[in-house]
Amino acid sequence: VTARAKLVGLTIGVAMGFVFAWARLSDPEAIRAMLLLREADVFLLMGSAVAVAAIGARLLRAAGARALVTGEPIAWSSEGPRPRHVAGALMFGAAWGVAGTCPGPLAVMIGEGRLGGLAIAAGVMLGAAWQGAFGRRGAAAAAPIPAASTGAPGADPRGVPGR
Amino acid sequence: VILDRCPWYIAGPLVGLLIVALRATLNKPFGALGGYIDLAENGARLGRLSVRAYVLFGIVIGGAAFALARGSYEAALAYGGAGGPLPPGVPGLAVALGAGVLMGFGARTAGGCTSGHGLSGLSLGSKASLTATMAFFGMAMGVAHLLDGLGGTP
Repeated sequence: VTARAKLVGLTIGVAMGFVFAWARLSDPEAIRAMLLLREADVFLLMGSAVAVAAIGARLLRAAGARALVTGEPIAWSSEGPRPRHVAGALMFGAAWGVAGTCPGPLAVMIGEGRLGGLAIAAGVMLGAAWQGAFGRRGAAAAAPIPAASTGAPGADPRGVPGR
Repeated sequence: VILDRCPWYIAGPLVGLLIVALRATLNKPFGALGGYIDLAENGARLGRLSVRAYVLFGIVIGGAAFALARGSYEAALAYGGAGGPLPPGVPGLAVALGAGVLMGFGARTAGGCTSGHGLSGLSLGSKASLTATMAFFGMAMGVAHLLDGLGGTP
């Protein structure tokens, strides 16, 4: 990976973290209020973000644009739902409901100085690494299922999360 | 004050534009989980970290920048602040660690978290992401209501 790509990723991350913090997504009380259907702000935030991102990605692809840093054509692929999407999401959702935070806002929280978030972050890394080892073992036992089926968003530059 | 909570109709489109920026520059989806996976697997060799880890580092820095700009930065072991959902002290940290393990294991099983599936994946029309998003929202709402009924904290 080029230093330029890392710098661009870092910069977009900084902006994302700032907006997340500004919108109070890093406040577990705001997440709880959303999950308890006491306020609609987070739903509306996510909905409008998805709408803008959907239009933007399609415009880029329709224009035949190439990625400014990497030069590759703007493209993506996606996959149909599989049982693991449901099983994994149910586990993830339970943890989200207990903690009131998820991986993105968790990083914001740590940046804001609420260092208790480091305990959750350590857990996320442990759990993800465990799942990775689990996936490889399962794949070895049941070849030819590819271990890569555990890939996360970004694992494949063209992939959509949940291949 | 201008750094009071940003309304959704500004923050949402901004988040959308940042996802488009990641697509336009690197042709990558936005997903926070990938950064944690990268750190867990390559954190010992910093040179091997991918862009995903740098995006995650950026999010931490962005959170710090916001708190500093607002003048509210204060390093503390606190988690959610007063009235947060977890009990204080060691029990809270133990619950946090356990929730984190479940969060990481589950999200990687599902192939993404709230950002990877709920933002990026949905924006690209992925049916897998739609399925995962409905499942984790449903479960999280159920758990939140259950905990609320039990008095708010686990």
